[in-house]
Amino acid sequence: MVDIELKRERIVIRYKDKKWDWILEPRYWRNAILWTLVLLIFPAVCYFVSPGLINTMINANIYSAIAIPLGLMTIGTGRMNFGPNFYIGVGGYTAALLSIAYGWGPLMTLPFAIFTSIVSALVFSPLVIIARGLYYVLLTLLLPLVFLEVTFIYSDTFKGDTGLFGIVPLVDTGNAKINFLIVAYLSLTIMLVYLLAINKILKSRYGLIMATINDDEDVAHGIGVNINKVKIISFVAASGMIGIMGWFYAHYFSSFAGITYLPLTFMLKILLVMMIGGRAQIFGCVVGGYFVAFLETFLIRYLGPTQPIIFPVILMIFLFTLPEGLFGIWRKRRYREYLPTLHVRR
Amino acid sequence: MKDILRVRNLNKNFGGIVAVRDLSFEIREGETLGFIGPNGAGKSTVVNILSGLIPADSGEVELDGVNITHMKPYQRARLGLARTYQIPRPFPELTALASVTVSALCGKKRKNQSFEDAAVEATHYLEFVGLFSKRNILARDLTFYELRMLELARALATTPKILFIDEVMAGLNPGEANRAVKMIAKAKEQFGLTIFWIEHVMAVLVEAADRIVAINYGAKLAEGTPDEVVNNDAVIEAYLGRGWKEYA
Repeated sequence: MVDIELKRERIVIRYKDKKWDWILEPRYWRNAILWTLVLLIFPAVCYFVSPGLINTMINANIYSAIAIPLGLMTIGTGRMNFGPNFYIGVGGYTAALLSIAYGWGPLMTLPFAIFTSIVSALVFSPLVIIARGLYYVLLTLLLPLVFLEVTFIYSDTFKGDTGLFGIVPLVDTGNAKINFLIVAYLSLTIMLVYLLAINKILKSRYGLIMATINDDEDVAHGIGVNINKVKIISFVAASGMIGIMGWFYAHYFSSFAGITYLPLTFMLKILLVMMIGGRAQIFGCVVGGYFVAFLETFLIRYLGPTQPIIFPVILMIFLFTLPEGLFGIWRKRRYREYLPTLHVRR
Repeated sequence: MKDILRVRNLNKNFGGIVAVRDLSFEIREGETLGFIGPNGAGKSTVVNILSGLIPADSGEVELDGVNITHMKPYQRARLGLARTYQIPRPFPELTALASVTVSALCGKKRKNQSFEDAAVEATHYLEFVGLFSKRNILARDLTFYELRMLELARALATTPKILFIDEVMAGLNPGEANRAVKMIAKAKEQFGLTIFWIEHVMAVLVEAADRIVAINYGAKLAEGTPDEVVNNDAVIEAYLGRGWKEYA
């Protein structure tokens, strides 16, 4: 008889005189490989069973890929940025305008999208030094909204009301289903690369230094941390990574409209992904991304017109009942271990 | 003994309130300088100015011959200036070991120091202050005394030349206070530190300090050996009020 026992941090499986341990620690290598395999197999299965789910998965990967660098930015600057979609707009419009004007493909527009995102982040990076708390929130919140207005004012260039069309697509094999499958793997690759890279940073000395800024930046300054340098680097690097997702959106849909990505609704979705996942915890961003994307699809499919009301209500209930996020349920098993999250100041 | 820290004509106003007024003193290498004054005298303001948290309006501060007046706190820390806080300010989400490791990483520069080297060094400082067994406990779960010791370990890990201790006795019971004083004396001896000790409890400084500087309303009242300062009429008046002799 197989005996399965759930212990604090592991599942113990016993069969006759044999015993297997499965450690539940999220960063344990076997778990990481297991989850990556599940994510890799999922689109291929969907391709045969329900191709519509591939689109949901692409959305989930994009949400996660925006929320993960946003988590890094939040921890590294010790501040909550309410305007990550500004960099999606910058990256997306750069890719769209270049692609339409010169007929460039995604590989040609990518470096420019990264460059403009980084430059715009550098321009606004003094915000992380001079503004704190509510002022920082308001200033970052304003950026995408001002950009949205700009797209309407300079409608000849940005086509603010209709969006830009005719962007060279990300993948064009001639078969829509295969295109979707390739885009799904591409989005998954970007998300996993972000996850691994940022996890590596957070586990390193730089992650520890960022955590001190997140906890108490004055004290961090007093023990020798060059807080301005760390804050600006994490702000700019994360903005560049978010800008790449703007590029991805532009080439994925072959169109880009600021009205889709720059308003509050999109920004709130990204923030909820981050908070419901696990309060800026990067593994939580993946959980949150998939949860929000699949919940949205499920509600649109089965609730129809009531979805716009039910969706935020469900998310709000989760936000209040799980202060540590979905990932927090898991994290509690190993709460002594260092996994940086947003330090909520009351 | 050479002067390790020189403060010249330091001034600081907050709006119309004069917090520090033309304050000058120096700290000699290897000594323990006590810094006393009644509530609101400007002691913590002086420490905040010296550690770079707030800028001075005018005046000069020199650390080991280097003018640090306009330097940022992290630059001062790397030059060998460390401090503890009156109310402990730990990194609540980090373990004791991680908190001290950051200090070892970011304080005075060590050549070819890896993350692991810093963690090993941090373990040494935790052992020194008696927190080795609590190394994997989150700072938010430590007791008040342990937080004081964690702050001391965090400050020591930056390998300072001079250590500012801001009211270490506050919130400790007599037994813990006694242990804290012994620990500071041990740290001074073992690490060859110079100590600038801000304290409210006069008795502690009389025992521990080589010299004392007393201030009131941001200006220097007296300077000298503990006996001289304690028996100084101006100092007694600052603590007990005018006309104290009538009740003595």
